[in-house]
Amino acid sequence: MENLVQEAIQNVNLHAVMPSLILSVAGMALLLVAVFSPRGKTAHIAWLSIASLIVAGIVTIMGWNDTQYGFAGSVQLDNFAAFFSMICIIAAGLAILMSDEYLKRENFPVGEYYPLILITTAGAMWMVSGTDLITIFLGLEVLSVSLYILAGFFRDQVRCNEAGLKYFFLGAFSTGFLLYGMALLYGVSGTTKVYDIAAYIQANPDTTTNVMFVAGGLLMLTGFFFKIAAAPFHMWTPDVYQGAPTPITAFMSAGPKAAAFAALIRVTFICLEGMQDHLTTVFWVLAVLTMTVGNLIALNQKDLKRMLAYSSIAHAGYAMVGLVAWNEIGSAGILFYMLVYTFMNMGAFAILILIGRSGEENLTLDGVTGLGYKKPMLGIAFSIFLFALMGLPPTAGFTGKFYIFAGAINSGYIWLAVLGVLNSAVSLYYYLRIMIFMYFKEPQEDYAWVKIYPATAVSIVISVIGVLYLGIVPGSIMQLARMAGF
Amino acid sequence: MLDLYLPIIVVIGIAFAFAIGSVVFSRLVGVKRYSELKMSPYECGVPPIGNANERFSVKFYLVAVAFIVFDVEVAFLYPWAIMFKQLGWYGAITMGIFIFVLVIGFIYDWKKGALEWE
Amino acid sequence: MAIDFPLLSLLLFMPLAGALVCLVLGMGNSTAPRWVALLTAAGVFVVSLLLCLLQTPTAGWLFYEDYRWIEQFGVRYTLGLDGLSSVLILLTAFLQLLAVLVSWRQERAPGVFFALLLVLEMAAIGVLLALDLILFYLFWELMLIPMFFLIGVWGYQRRFQAAVKFFLYTLIGSLCLLLAVISLYLLHGDQTGTYTFALEALKQTELSTTQELIFFFCFMAAFVVKVPLFPFHSWLPDAHAEGPAAGSVDLAGLLLKTGVYGMIRFAFPLFPVAAQKTLPVLAGLALVGLFYAAWVAYQQVDIKRIVAFSSISHMGFVILGLAAWNQTAWEGSLLLMVNHAITTAGLFVVVAMIEQRTGSRSLDQLGGLWKSHPNMSAFFLLFCMASLGLPGLANFAGEILILIGVFTVKPLWAVIAVGGILFSATYTLRLVQGTLWGNNCEPHDKQDLHSREWLVLIPLAVLVVALGCYPQPVLDLLREPLSALLLVGGMP
Repeated sequence: MENLVQEAIQNVNLHAVMPSLILSVAGMALLLVAVFSPRGKTAHIAWLSIASLIVAGIVTIMGWNDTQYGFAGSVQLDNFAAFFSMICIIAAGLAILMSDEYLKRENFPVGEYYPLILITTAGAMWMVSGTDLITIFLGLEVLSVSLYILAGFFRDQVRCNEAGLKYFFLGAFSTGFLLYGMALLYGVSGTTKVYDIAAYIQANPDTTTNVMFVAGGLLMLTGFFFKIAAAPFHMWTPDVYQGAPTPITAFMSAGPKAAAFAALIRVTFICLEGMQDHLTTVFWVLAVLTMTVGNLIALNQKDLKRMLAYSSIAHAGYAMVGLVAWNEIGSAGILFYMLVYTFMNMGAFAILILIGRSGEENLTLDGVTGLGYKKPMLGIAFSIFLFALMGLPPTAGFTGKFYIFAGAINSGYIWLAVLGVLNSAVSLYYYLRIMIFMYFKEPQEDYAWVKIYPATAVSIVISVIGVLYLGIVPGSIMQLARMAGF
Repeated sequence: MLDLYLPIIVVIGIAFAFAIGSVVFSRLVGVKRYSELKMSPYECGVPPIGNANERFSVKFYLVAVAFIVFDVEVAFLYPWAIMFKQLGWYGAITMGIFIFVLVIGFIYDWKKGALEWE
Repeated sequence: MAIDFPLLSLLLFMPLAGALVCLVLGMGNSTAPRWVALLTAAGVFVVSLLLCLLQTPTAGWLFYEDYRWIEQFGVRYTLGLDGLSSVLILLTAFLQLLAVLVSWRQERAPGVFFALLLVLEMAAIGVLLALDLILFYLFWELMLIPMFFLIGVWGYQRRFQAAVKFFLYTLIGSLCLLLAVISLYLLHGDQTGTYTFALEALKQTELSTTQELIFFFCFMAAFVVKVPLFPFHSWLPDAHAEGPAAGSVDLAGLLLKTGVYGMIRFAFPLFPVAAQKTLPVLAGLALVGLFYAAWVAYQQVDIKRIVAFSSISHMGFVILGLAAWNQTAWEGSLLLMVNHAITTAGLFVVVAMIEQRTGSRSLDQLGGLWKSHPNMSAFFLLFCMASLGLPGLANFAGEILILIGVFTVKPLWAVIAVGGILFSATYTLRLVQGTLWGNNCEPHDKQDLHSREWLVLIPLAVLVVALGCYPQPVLDLLREPLSALLLVGGMP
């Protein structure tokens, strides 16, 4: 017994979970702060959340190139995890920056919002640093449950309730798939640690043809595909993205999606390496399907949030091209792309927050008619994000896509790259449509209700800088992504 | 590999067969004599009042959720209490953290008014 | 020649700085941006003129800049200037100066308008300087964005469709280019171990004929759309007809040129074998385009569309010269390109003036301008005569060189092409007759040219005559670079 305790103490390595620990402690503390604050006062909670995110970010950066293993090998804070953690932290930070005035406008300034974002981020970090299926599952659940609440946060808006409920039901369903798959993998290999599973397969190569193993792997992947909204598991995305509070939509499409990608990469590249031949085919088909479905349906959308939801499906498809490549450039490409996507997508959503009226009924194509003349700075910023989403130089969207497609071509998937490029061409049309409404049509309204909230403006400025910096001098960050890639 | 699970599958099969079989069997073999009393709900002599789909106050749910949280807590506390000596300070600190986290939730519940009935 | 001062970067970033100033000033004062734009454009013009005068006729790079940029991918910031690019940059700077003057009275969001013009200038100069394929691609795409807005915001009724058509056509072409660039890069990297996008290095890549053909088609997809070569031309008339005057000047003078430049700087030297194999196809399309565009031009009523189609027809001539693949024809092609840019710019400017005065661009309604606006009509006549290739005026010199060059290799092509000149005479004469003579229309603005318009038209007219009589300085600049590029092609 003494030995067990000794071992347990030795295995605990708080450094390996330090960033997420900071966030969860801050989350709990802020929950108490929130409940003791008078109703309607949330600004101080927002700023404290930002402060805790900054601290967590600094701790994450300090741990760069210093891999920490903890809890008997179930947590591994390596460069890969650190990079994805930073993406989640940035996404959470931007989401919080754009939230406070938004919550006031939507008449629902409730302080629990921020702690929930922090706890979601902590869950995302466990997911990205987990090397044990249980840790990954734990992180996924913490992330999902908090997001279910956040997605349905405005409890007096029917659309928001619908979003929360849909997300909850489908999320719970997909979690079932994930868990079942994990259980089957455990049943085959007798362990839940990803490296041990890999070692088991190394020792017993015929496992890869074992029905239970294959079924387990596929079921687990299904769970992840749901989280990254890959077609045909994307059905929940448009409704949830449209109904959820806009900052949460922005956050969901960047942070948690990146985390799901991280876990997916770690599990597939390590555990399921033996199934590479078959899985690349699966990824190939799903990547093409995802970007095509996303782009084609987006063509016909009038509601901007819904359009961006479909565009986010398409972008998940582009990122999956990196999975098909199944090499270092591929995974580094996903890392870089998710970072780029965080900036450009969250920036676009931040603009929507500023344009929207209470209730956000006006966030349609017609609702931005002539916006570029009445609010020139907003128009320019929105155009930059749209050009980035299209993938045009000199924005980051270009460098990101370049990285991804270069990985695919390098692995010999020329056709995949061709289809990806064709898809970008299709996507031009609906992004351009927003710009046509914004600039080519005479303004119908004076947009007097558009107030430039300072914190939201800061998040837009940060995103613009991010998009341009990663587009013009991407060298240093690409180097980091390369170091973090598998 | 799969034959390890065979006994379980057999047990599950037997369980299903028994459950379904007894219902089907009694329906096939049993003698049915209907009477007014028998046809009334529950057969226990009290006629039903109102709609069965009655809505409960949300307070019940809150209490139920709070109960589950503290119920699960006991499930953790009990093994720790048994192994208290062996686990020593390590166990004490770990459980301390665990309870502390729960206490935060408790304070939150309390402050939110989840424990007040009116 | 080692000059430490980064002149090329200065050339590149001067317009960008001007654009930013325009944007900032455009918020308040509405006359400041145009002065900034004018000064910037003049500055760029002076620098590029300086670069041309410094030029000694050598084949090497007169100026060269090379810095690290994205090291992971071997992307470098490499600029190089030789005679070829300096001529085209001078042309760009000159036309841009005129474009600013033409849109002097821009009422609608002048700050943004002039900023976009300057960004377009920067992108075009970047395309003409870049020697790293990614850098090239970056500027290539950057040209789209300002043009898209120039057409879409400041254009006429059907401007949305025109802008979107322009954007989609050219972007799909450039995406092919991007794929080919990445594939070539990886192929070269696998062969040599050094991953680079540098043009000179990529020329050494060993390719099978099939690979070369595929790459060549992808590159050409981007370039022929921009030129535009028949049958990829249908965006151009719309873009011209719906775009503002400055936009048309830039389209004819800047964008079209970059397509041809891309071919001779990138596509031909990188894939000489494939280029050789496809020359007859190119020539065929050029000839069909030459006639087809001339025929369609003859059918048009809108005078701006006539000029647009004449532009396609002339570009067919240019491509035909390239397809002849010898020194004389190439010099002729480049010369015709420069001359065509100047005459077409002149035509578009005068068309804009006609529209301003009469409120119409339709041949049915125009007529008799010779009487009411003699000076303007004289300029119009001059540019029209130059456009149809009257000896002594600009286009003739280029056309005759092309014909000579083509005749030495494929007499038949030359004979057919001569017919094309005849065609161009018919529609041009119809244009002149319909606007300047015939029934008097009732122009609501009786004023003939005012001072700013004189300022725009005189340099154009002088150049039209000067380049028609004495094109030697331009040819001197072009000679060595072109023969070097032909040599790289490995063919006589």
